[in-house]
Amino acid sequence: MRKFLSAVLFFITCTLGAQNVSDLIISEALSSPDSTGILDGYGRRNGWVELFNKSTGTVSYGGCFLTDDRMNLKKSLIPKSDQRTKLGPRQSVVFYCSGNGADGTFYAGFKLEPGKTVYLVSNDGRTVIDSLAIPASLPAGRSIQKLAFDLRQQVFEPQADPAIPSPGILNGDQDSTTKAQIMAENDPHGLTLTVVSVAVVFSALAILWFLFWLLFDRRAKKKTAGHDGTPKRHSRPDRESPDGEVVAAIALALDMEASGDDYAAIAAAVHLYLTEAIHDVEPGIVTIRRTESSAWNNKTLTFRQLPQHENL
Amino acid sequence: MDQIFQSLSQFWEYTGFANCSWQNLVMIGIGLIFITLAIVKEWEPMLLVPIGFGMIVGNIPMFPGLNIGVYEDGSVLNILYQGVKQGWYPPLIFLGIGAMTDFSALISQPRLILIGAAAQMGIFGAYLLALLFGFAPNEAGAIGIIGGADGPTAIFLSSKLAPDLMGAIAVSAYSYMALVPVIQKPIMLLLTNKKERLIKMPTPRTVSKKEKIVFPIVGFLITAFIVPSGLPLLGMLFFGNLLKESGVTRRLANTASGPLIDVVTTLIGLTVGASTQADKFISVKSLMIFGLGLLSFVIATMSGVLFVKLMNLFIKNPAKKINPLIGNAGVSAVPDSARVSETVGREIDPSNHLLMHAMGPNVAGVIGSAVAAGILLSFLG
Repeated sequence: MRKFLSAVLFFITCTLGAQNVSDLIISEALSSPDSTGILDGYGRRNGWVELFNKSTGTVSYGGCFLTDDRMNLKKSLIPKSDQRTKLGPRQSVVFYCSGNGADGTFYAGFKLEPGKTVYLVSNDGRTVIDSLAIPASLPAGRSIQKLAFDLRQQVFEPQADPAIPSPGILNGDQDSTTKAQIMAENDPHGLTLTVVSVAVVFSALAILWFLFWLLFDRRAKKKTAGHDGTPKRHSRPDRESPDGEVVAAIALALDMEASGDDYAAIAAAVHLYLTEAIHDVEPGIVTIRRTESSAWNNKTLTFRQLPQHENL
Repeated sequence: MDQIFQSLSQFWEYTGFANCSWQNLVMIGIGLIFITLAIVKEWEPMLLVPIGFGMIVGNIPMFPGLNIGVYEDGSVLNILYQGVKQGWYPPLIFLGIGAMTDFSALISQPRLILIGAAAQMGIFGAYLLALLFGFAPNEAGAIGIIGGADGPTAIFLSSKLAPDLMGAIAVSAYSYMALVPVIQKPIMLLLTNKKERLIKMPTPRTVSKKEKIVFPIVGFLITAFIVPSGLPLLGMLFFGNLLKESGVTRRLANTASGPLIDVVTTLIGLTVGASTQADKFISVKSLMIFGLGLLSFVIATMSGVLFVKLMNLFIKNPAKKINPLIGNAGVSAVPDSARVSETVGREIDPSNHLLMHAMGPNVAGVIGSAVAAGILLSFLG
């Protein structure tokens, strides 16, 4: 059984690892730079590919491949040993397509050309994680991008129109407005949010109330109700005495010494004592207390009785 | 000789005396007041002692760049503060709260759950007021949560919505929690008449073990499905409670409700206190937060009491009427607000014990404030 669970855990771990790499997308590509294009580390202008991590966790992409040839998926290896091959949540990284992968970690061993498709391949060398087709008509100095209208949708669609390149920057203006800003614009006095929130809080707790009333409270009351519908009295023998009040009074008397935990415990004890007649379990130890004065330690009682003369 | 004087002069520059400002002294004074209130008056000592001492720690004037301050990367205090900043501590505290909370009072009288919902009006009342005073919506949401009377929830939400205001919000929330008896009693007396205060509520029914086990599971499923953004708090709260009620994980429940919550409470108190460095804390905004925090407590208490009165209008059977004095317990300052209900109730009728009844809305308030925090997070986060 333990081996089976270990195997399941191993499988889940592997699956999660694979899911991490699958969170990467090719978010943007530019095949023909113009004179305003970005320079690589060697001062050259090349086409480039931008990878984007759409997840909320860090993804390690070392060992994956970039290629522009469907028949050769292992064309350009992203070095596995480089510690920089980790991409934070909602972050992007740019690879220069210089045609020589030996230029560095962030260089691909092929030149990007219009009309081709660029692929991101998993570290198994077989699974295509994502691809982006570069239109043959893509003008120089323009890129092709993928956009999601809302990052939570996690669905990125390639845009038909060429875009102004934004290497290393989130495409579009998805995060330009925060929720608070939207709220300030749409609900400046906060009334809508208040009404909605109060309704949600009440709904959540009302559902809880209704469910427990339906499942337990109603049944329990039916069970404890007598023939005339009034609640049955509990069978605790000394019900007449005001024990509940005494116990609660003790709880209050402890006011100066007890902490919050004690109060919760006392409250629970009062409840149990009143309703279930549950009492603390006694330790069962009999102690003998030394008594100061009692008939039992009266010395006169330990004296031997004097013989009495009787008149025979 | 010159070198000695030069060294002494240099040393002087590093001392607290040379770097002291009046703001530091004010904050140290507030820290000392907190400690005094905790020790002499026993107002929330578990929180006020660590926070008060943390305030003193955080406001010792020092030469910047020694890498020891709470806001300096890599310092011990900074590392411990990450639990507050990243919101790790509050869910862990909720785990402990869940493991030590008995929901029987709530399960036996499910209608009292609604009082816990009504008292959350304090959160949204303060949110509206904060917007009125010019706070941004995210800041207003973080300030509003003070009205939930729940320190961990206030820290959790403010760390997400308005990290810059977290120190003031946390200190405000814990201060007013400690002052619950002072704040709530006059409002309760103002809003109720003698006849209402004398209402005796029926003894709650017995709650079975099955109900206690089902409650955290069903409670979690319902609340988390409605407000998934409250998952860290709700998940931990109900998980802790399941550990307690299942009866088969006693060791885990004991750890969660004992050593774990003690450690986290110590750290959260100390680091929240230390985060109130004078240069970041003393501002008009902080004063406004304190004012709004007080108002949120007042609104929450009023809402709870008035809601009970409203419920009574619909309850025909006089024997089933609810004493409005338990309405204040809808704020989740457990168990202080329930204790206030008991004390005020007994002042007018020494034989009327409301403690057990007030525990119902009190624990419902914990759930309600976590749900409210989740809603604010999903709208403003």
